[in-house]
Amino acid sequence: MDALWRLLPVTMLTVRQFSGGKTARLVLLLSCFPVLFAAIFVIRPWSGDPAEYLADLFRELIVPTLLPIVVLLPATAALGNELEDGTLPYLLMKPVSRARIVLGKYLAIILVTIPALIVGVGLTTVVVSRVPGAEGLWPIFVAMAGAAAVGALLLGALFLLVSLLVPRALLAGMIYVFAWESLLGRFLPGVQAISSREYTLRVFEGLLDGDSAATVAAISTIGVVILVCLVLAIWRLSRMQID
Amino acid sequence: MSEPNASETTATELPGLARGEQAIIEVRDVAKWYGDIVAVSDMSFGIGAGVTGLLGPNGAGKSTLLNMISGLLAPSAGSVRVLGKPVRGNPAIYRQIGLASEQEHVYGSLQGREFVRLNAILQGVPDADGATERVIRVVGMESAANRRVGGYSKGMRQRIKVAAALVHEPQVLLLDEPLNGTDPVQRASLIDLMRRLGDEGKTVVVSSHVLSEVERFARNVLVVVNGKLAAAGDYRTIRERMDQRDHIIRIRCSDPRRLASSLVADRITRSVRFQGQEGLIAETDDVRRFGLLAPEIARREQIRIFELQATDESLASVFSYLVNS
Repeated sequence: MDALWRLLPVTMLTVRQFSGGKTARLVLLLSCFPVLFAAIFVIRPWSGDPAEYLADLFRELIVPTLLPIVVLLPATAALGNELEDGTLPYLLMKPVSRARIVLGKYLAIILVTIPALIVGVGLTTVVVSRVPGAEGLWPIFVAMAGAAAVGALLLGALFLLVSLLVPRALLAGMIYVFAWESLLGRFLPGVQAISSREYTLRVFEGLLDGDSAATVAAISTIGVVILVCLVLAIWRLSRMQID
Repeated sequence: MSEPNASETTATELPGLARGEQAIIEVRDVAKWYGDIVAVSDMSFGIGAGVTGLLGPNGAGKSTLLNMISGLLAPSAGSVRVLGKPVRGNPAIYRQIGLASEQEHVYGSLQGREFVRLNAILQGVPDADGATERVIRVVGMESAANRRVGGYSKGMRQRIKVAAALVHEPQVLLLDEPLNGTDPVQRASLIDLMRRLGDEGKTVVVSSHVLSEVERFARNVLVVVNGKLAAAGDYRTIRERMDQRDHIIRIRCSDPRRLASSLVADRITRSVRFQGQEGLIAETDDVRRFGLLAPEIARREQIRIFELQATDESLASVFSYLVNS
């Protein structure tokens, strides 16, 4: 632990802030929210196939709504809270590059969200597997875990940038999640093309179908967006004025 | 005392510096505005080694100035250099600068020791643990170092922030209202620490809005009022200048007429007027002597003084006097 503090002080500090406050608990709680739906399905399974139900749960609930909210909380808090409460100068007034600060914060977001999301989809899969005759859930779990991780990487970078651009990043993020991802992204083809939901689902379907070309294409696009977001975040942080 | 706002100055000619003194901090023609609001206006000064008090009433622009010196804010005009280098966009300079800001918040989930150690690690201090223990001892926080910073009193937070700012032994230390919230013992200890650092040749800039407090630690002062540099230089010279102005003294006593006639007989009393039944307003150019003279006359004439108060001793009036003169 001591070595980690020396190696990744910004990340360790941020993880400690998340675990010391409510953020980490909320992230875990929200990540496990689909377990409730899985439990209802187990108690009263509809005519649907368990595997199909699990995949639909991921497509309709986790990706458009839960995943963005789970990532939004720590991503907007990582730098946004420091800006709001005035602790950011403790990091900025150090001989540490702005890139190291942004990447340290980004790593902390990933460390808090991805394990929680994997635990969430894992528990959901375990609960759905209790339905008699449930088969073929393992590949769905792998695809869900992989896609959720990629989605978290994308949204983490996006919301981290947003927190440096707008004062009420959490509110702005919520509007984005519910208006763009959950509503418009579903029905408007133009919006679909530029929504994180669409690319996360492409990764999911690619992993599920074993279509490595589609998976790589989606991940490449996501990678470029992540890179752009992080570069912009570093640029923004280095020009930020702290009063 | 140097004249403020001098333009076309060399480093040693900057207001605030003694003749031939080397500037560690150089502020040249600096202004900061937010839309129509001017926070700092055309300021030029230099700060050398030792303790310098940045004095001014609340809202005068002290924190804005400190934030510009520490590179957190970019000036709208002018330039700021520390140790000959620009601060903004130059993270490497922070090895030489420590800031304890006025902000209340610190990382509440960390223990005091962890907070200081984090600063040491981020500063790249080779022996972070040793340096942490050293500065915790310096600010007298040994017994509370394992407690969470979130549970600290204001005074304890101030001291732990000072420890964090000191942990890498910076050449330049910027302390924004460090005595706020401290009790008399903590205050004395922090003042002693500032003096010691100044004696060691460090450049320590301490902002304060308490006039009497500054004289306890600062050799030099910069007086900032309404975003402008009102005075810069030796504290005693500025203090004398402040004392030499006309002061208005309000007196309540048992026999104002008799006291007034005795007071005007002394040349330090410039004028006297009556206020109500027991009241008297006197104007003097030597407030210290007047403070001795009035009770002496009252004793001699057997007049009872109920109240004797300088009505214009508020910081705002003192600062406004400095600006106007």
